[in-house]
Amino acid sequence: MSFFFTRALDSFLGRNESAITVPALDGALRPNRRLDDAAGRIPVRAPGALAVGRDGLMVSSGSDLLRLPSGEVLYRASAEISCLAPVAGGIAIGLDDGRIVIVGGEFDGTELPARDGARCPTAMVADGDALYVCHGSAQNPPSAWTRDLLERNASGAIWQMDLRGSRQHRIAAGLAFPAGLALIADGLIVSESWKHRIVLLDRTTGALRKVIQSDLPGYPGHIGHGPSASSGDGYVMAMFAPRNQLVEFILREDQYRRRMMAEVDPRYWVAPSYRSGRSFYEPLQGGGVKHLGILKPWAPTLSFGMVVLLDENCLPVDSFQSRADGTTHGVTGAVIHDGALYAASRGDDVVARLDFGS
Amino acid sequence: MSITDTIAYWRYRLVPDHIVGEILAKRWIDNAIPFAILVAVLVGFGTAVPDFLSLGSMTALTRQLGEFGLVVLAMTIVMLAGGIDLSVGSVLALANITALAMLNIFGLPVGVACVITLAVGASVGLVNGLLIGYLRLRAFLTTLVTLIIVRSIVDMLLLKFAVQISAGFVDSAVWDFIGDGKVAQVPFSFALFLLIAIVVHVVLSRTRPGWHLMAVGGSRRSAHNVGIHVRRTICLTYVVSGTLAALAGFLFAARLGGAGSDVGIGLEITVLTAAVLGGNSLGGGRGSAAKAVLGAITVMIIINGLVRVGAGSGANSLILGLILLAAVAIDVRWLKNRHKVLAKVYVSPAFRSLPAAPGTERDSASPYALNDRLRDVSPVGLNQVDGPEDVILDENDHIYAGTRTGDIVRFFAPDYTQQEVFAHVGGRPLGMAFARDGALICCIGGMGLYRIGMDRQISKLTDETNRTPFSIIDDARLRLADDLDIAPDGRIFFSEATVRYEMHEWPVDGLESRGNGRIICYDPLSNTTRTVLRNLNFPNGICMTQDGQSFLFAETWSCSVSRYHFDGPKAGKVETVIPDLPGHPDNINRASDGTYWLALVGVRTPSMDLALRMPGFRRRMARRVAPDEWLFPNINTGCIVRFDESGRILDTLWDLGGENHPMITSMREHRGHLYIGGIFNNRIGQLPLAGADPDWTGTRSYWGDEK
Repeated sequence: MSFFFTRALDSFLGRNESAITVPALDGALRPNRRLDDAAGRIPVRAPGALAVGRDGLMVSSGSDLLRLPSGEVLYRASAEISCLAPVAGGIAIGLDDGRIVIVGGEFDGTELPARDGARCPTAMVADGDALYVCHGSAQNPPSAWTRDLLERNASGAIWQMDLRGSRQHRIAAGLAFPAGLALIADGLIVSESWKHRIVLLDRTTGALRKVIQSDLPGYPGHIGHGPSASSGDGYVMAMFAPRNQLVEFILREDQYRRRMMAEVDPRYWVAPSYRSGRSFYEPLQGGGVKHLGILKPWAPTLSFGMVVLLDENCLPVDSFQSRADGTTHGVTGAVIHDGALYAASRGDDVVARLDFGS
Repeated sequence: MSITDTIAYWRYRLVPDHIVGEILAKRWIDNAIPFAILVAVLVGFGTAVPDFLSLGSMTALTRQLGEFGLVVLAMTIVMLAGGIDLSVGSVLALANITALAMLNIFGLPVGVACVITLAVGASVGLVNGLLIGYLRLRAFLTTLVTLIIVRSIVDMLLLKFAVQISAGFVDSAVWDFIGDGKVAQVPFSFALFLLIAIVVHVVLSRTRPGWHLMAVGGSRRSAHNVGIHVRRTICLTYVVSGTLAALAGFLFAARLGGAGSDVGIGLEITVLTAAVLGGNSLGGGRGSAAKAVLGAITVMIIINGLVRVGAGSGANSLILGLILLAAVAIDVRWLKNRHKVLAKVYVSPAFRSLPAAPGTERDSASPYALNDRLRDVSPVGLNQVDGPEDVILDENDHIYAGTRTGDIVRFFAPDYTQQEVFAHVGGRPLGMAFARDGALICCIGGMGLYRIGMDRQISKLTDETNRTPFSIIDDARLRLADDLDIAPDGRIFFSEATVRYEMHEWPVDGLESRGNGRIICYDPLSNTTRTVLRNLNFPNGICMTQDGQSFLFAETWSCSVSRYHFDGPKAGKVETVIPDLPGHPDNINRASDGTYWLALVGVRTPSMDLALRMPGFRRRMARRVAPDEWLFPNINTGCIVRFDESGRILDTLWDLGGENHPMITSMREHRGHLYIGGIFNNRIGQLPLAGADPDWTGTRSYWGDEK
């Protein structure tokens, strides 16, 4: 009873759960425009995921798998590609319709069909014969992530697929859109997007062991191992969209959110996106009004570009960003390859290459 | 309309939410709590005690109230200057014994005795004043000490003169009248109290010494910095306080004629309770004579009521003490939280359902279809002009534009590379028009309607209009004069976008979308200003039609253009010309072929249209979300349309990227070119118009060739 009363009071006064504060970009996340200033910018239509396999660097572009930097088409899938993972010499490809296909290598031609609770592959990692897969949502495909956020779902799951025996089992469920996955000795590092946090789960039971990072300023997506310059260990993480005070507020406004989803074209929702500001039908926020012909870089925005380097304890040490007025928004994939960081900007149709140590 | 929308429509139509904020913004709201307490006390004792409100009971009450009220006034004056005077009770006792001694023992005339009594009180006050004002001792301790010293003097005098006083007898009609008489059915002392209260009110609110006193109480340092004699002012408040307390003592002597040892004991606490309960701030600077009167009446009723109910003297003091405590607490909390509450409740969005917006799809059949016809705009005065909301050209082709810094700048023809400040008017110059005599008439946000002659003489035409009957906020003063146009007979019609917000708060008015704007007419012949249309949704552009009997006006938040007939057969009628613009209209101006140009400053967004139908959502957003993060109409992209008097859209000019001209709030056709202004821009746009009359100018369209 008192719990409900507290909830009602909080919601009336805007406290605790109902507070809509968004953390400031500070420390290692201090604003910069290093993604926009990248040394190389390779134009790719809607680049989604990046992976390094036997054929070198690959990027998904819609339903195509391309080799970088040549742009040669390696594989053409029957649906939009949502995630990639190198597996036993080949590459596992997660598709928007929920299927996972493996191309090349030992398991060439394997296809894992979609099934209930596992039709939204957002991230995969292979470990020997086992393939660990994050399914972001039980209700929506990966491409409908905005809807999943606005529906306030927490129906994501992590599955372990045995590629040799084709045995599948669910490790964890009830996650708020797990969109990034990395393996460590006995655990899984998962980015739980809608809760803006990175958690450590037990590899066999799926139990929550530790919240590594919480209250991130954006929605964390892809996490991959990336040799940090100093210790040779660490992670690279992409945040595909920023948190926004207005969106946080609307997430707590059930009636408006429901009507918006029912009555408004999804392109014009007040919701984070890979790229905002392209149409005048999109929502505008007060700080986003151009003054003297200039959009302020610190303007409130529904899209941005952000790649974070994490150390071996998952603490952020450095970041590469594209701000409200930038041109590298909606980074869905990031990988470190050949001494360079590659970031796939889904919003701006470009893969940015940033050279380290030069 | 759906059921939800219908409910919201009636809910926000029937309940005037905005009134709460407007009442809270009033200064007189400080009296609300004391007044409510007074009413509660009256009702409470009126029902609990029989005959409590009878005439006899009231007369007895008012007789005491006269003396008590004077002391409360004394305390209030000291408190307003930031001090406190605990010695009032002792001064009253001293005055009482002085008056009786002068009359009974020395047999002086009543007048002389009165003057001497007041002088005694004033001198005690002077001692307090010198110590506190000039030597800057603590008011509380100093007056506590005076309280004790004066009380001791009274006791010593009593020992010496008590017998003589009680033996004497005053045979004076005046003295009896003071003690017992009535002025128009009201006891003399009470009448005197009311008179002095009025004098104090006038002094505090209308005279220089009163303002000084309030300033010192409000902020000692600031008062000092502006050159007020802080020490003298403080000293004088104690002198006044002593004098008023002595006057109360004189009245007390006249009423009772006895010199007891318990006169005025504990009075300071009762008086303090009354002053604070009335709403006078202990910290100084906030309060009034009216509050003192309210407090005095309330406390007097409580004391008398408690006696009549039969509460013991101990309970009496206890209850008064508790009341004082509560009053102080309320005072502190109210002072601290009033503006917070105000900030939360002032914004009160209304329900607004806009008709479906016509499409803008490129290459579609929609008259608003996207194109790139504005891409050829060339900038004038790039980075030299800050925020030209409106632009206008004279017969010599010079461009005039108002800027954010309160200048009207002039760019010289023919190449517009040279510029000068034509006039510095201050405020935020917005809409402009040329009058028949060639003077530039300008609406200035935050100031009103101004005229700038070609000799650069600036003169105010008007800055106020008739106040709306029964409106709570004072809407007589102009806040946001926006755009104007001039009728053939010289009358100037101009729009005031909102009466509830200041110039820089215009986005909040959009969030509210209530219809706070109006159109006003200034008649230069009679020099009068009258409001002609009320409750408009951010009325913005105004443009005279060719018939000289009506004008077109745009309402920004309701995305419509209407026509108002001020003369002719349809006089007084408003007709909607375009009900469903796809964006938010700004200025309207004449085109060379008899049609009209209209600037759309932004485009309606589906998310904002939905929010307009959900006022509760917008109200919560205004409270919770930082203004920079609010959902806004999309004013980063606009366009220019041309329409005729029937409301047909003839032309649309877009530029999606806005590279050459980011924002459009106005446009002026002049000799085959269109000149474009934007309120947040750093340039003026110039666009050649194919097929337009190369000799047409706005001035000639209005005033012919006579000039």
